Amino acid sequence: MKSPITIVFRKELKDALRDKRSVMAAMSYAFFGPLLMAVAFYVLISQLTDDSDVKIDIEGAAHAPAFVEHLERNGVVQRDEAWPAGQQPIVLAIAEGWDESIATAQPAKVTLTADFSSQKQRTDIRRVESAVENYSKQLSYIRLQMRGIDPRITQGVDLVKHDTATKGSKAAILMGSVLIFILLSVFFSGMNVAIDISAGERERNSLELLLSQPLTTHQLVWGKSLAASAFAMFGGLLSAILIPIIFKFLPLHEIGMSVSLAWPMILLIIVLLVPLALLATALQLFVSFRAKSFKEAQTYISLLLMAPMLVVFGVEFAKVKNQILYYLPLTGQHQALLDIIKGEPLQWVAMGISALATFVVSILLLKLISRMLSSEKVVFGL
Amino acid sequence: MIEVKSLQKAFGKVTALDGLTFSAPEGQITGLLGPNGAGKTTCLRTIYGLLKADSGEALIDGVDANKDPLAVRRKIGIFPDKFGLYERLTAREQISYFATLHGMEGEAGDAAVAEVLSRLDMNAIADRRATGFSQGQRMKVALAQAIVHRPKHLILDEPSRGLDVMSTRILRDLLRELRDQGTSILFSSHVMQEVAALCDQVVVVAAGKVAAQGTPTELCEQTGESALEEAFVKIIGTDEGIAA
Repeated sequence: MKSPITIVFRKELKDALRDKRSVMAAMSYAFFGPLLMAVAFYVLISQLTDDSDVKIDIEGAAHAPAFVEHLERNGVVQRDEAWPAGQQPIVLAIAEGWDESIATAQPAKVTLTADFSSQKQRTDIRRVESAVENYSKQLSYIRLQMRGIDPRITQGVDLVKHDTATKGSKAAILMGSVLIFILLSVFFSGMNVAIDISAGERERNSLELLLSQPLTTHQLVWGKSLAASAFAMFGGLLSAILIPIIFKFLPLHEIGMSVSLAWPMILLIIVLLVPLALLATALQLFVSFRAKSFKEAQTYISLLLMAPMLVVFGVEFAKVKNQILYYLPLTGQHQALLDIIKGEPLQWVAMGISALATFVVSILLLKLISRMLSSEKVVFGL
Repeated sequence: MIEVKSLQKAFGKVTALDGLTFSAPEGQITGLLGPNGAGKTTCLRTIYGLLKADSGEALIDGVDANKDPLAVRRKIGIFPDKFGLYERLTAREQISYFATLHGMEGEAGDAAVAEVLSRLDMNAIADRRATGFSQGQRMKVALAQAIVHRPKHLILDEPSRGLDVMSTRILRDLLRELRDQGTSILFSSHVMQEVAALCDQVVVVAAGKVAAQGTPTELCEQTGESALEEAFVKIIGTDEGIAA
């Protein structure tokens, strides 16, 4: 005889697959989340790597044609069009006595007027500044050489910058935020199904008859939660596969990053998501079996969704570092995913412990739900 | 055989069942007649183990649902107080779901489902999804779910609510047929006509107690009235909550 768990699981899965709303919900989060991230990163990268000329107002260009030529070579050119509304003009004014200052080896006066607090113009201003500084340096070199002095005398310290950040570790910062999408996808994707098979059952008045059938509440709860977990896992699977693919199409190398996830790693991520999918479902069922209607359950669950988001974002942005994070449900998977993406050595034992912890918590929750459903107070809302 | 022995049940301060005792033997239709709020649904829910009695016991073939709910539920078919359908499943799938939960699967299960579909004249709607079913069609699906595993005991909670004449007739014919096959049938109602037309035995319930018991004729004789309705009113002392 087939186990009642299998019977319930198959029926709920069939029912859920026919519900377009549930399927769409599972798909859309997993699909549009990463896509949205990709667009955001694309815009960011193209801003960072913008090497078109900086167009500014240059006043008194006629006084210093050689200087203006140098600026042009460095991508700082005279602006022809008007400044867009809301943007302060960047003005470089060359003082009248340029020729005289050069001839007498005095500092030639150049004034840079701009809104230095403007985020948007920051890179433009910096480029103007460095072009001017470069010219100034060249000028002093020539002056020193003309007086028979080694220009290196002006250099007290030679600072050699040695960047140890690997392309992978730079990418980790970026991928950290993407990870959140993968982790949360299991919470979002199964949500609709979880509500439908719990609060929905009550709302359409089918709960009483179902509970009067020859199966234990334990079997009923497991059958239902496996069906909802399957949906959650489907979302997780989709986003875990989609995100690396989408990142292949982003020109990340232009900002010195590389994200390369080999298929075994993606497979590992998917395996890590399995216990999390069960936990997500158990939490959602726990909440929505108490609700009397679909609407009520939705309200509770959207509050519930804040919990994993807060945990993951909290750890991510507060930069909490503690070994215990590796062992707990949710944070354990988060840390493991971070390590995978950074290309750091994986803590297999910790991964196993957190997976086990996640399973244990889920099983306890499902036990609790079974007990709830055996209670007449919960079932009939007495 | 369904036996109810001095059931006591209180919800907070409200006493729903107050020492209710009766039995529904095999091959008989027993009607649980009572005004709204008399404790009919509470009694039925206690029999199939969804509610726990404070004291007393409800036995199906000698098994107490509070002690071994699964054993009891395997022996009974239930037509509950509220019957919601799974809107995205077809009639056949719904019935088959309940059949498999009762351990009927494979060809035997399919055959049982097909049989009950034709018995209830549902072949036209068998493969349609439940969305858009009429009240009568929904009732048929619920009824089919209750009898597909051929239970020895059938418990129905106000089965004729909102049914048209044709559906009511199908329901009555079916219940009589099952009775003749030896099923013990217990159903609750507050509709006099239905009870009079169908029941071999009537248990009148008021305020959680048995107010009177017997065949419709016996009840009339006891009260010296000629119509069951008058007898009923005399028994419970009020005509509140009764439909003719």
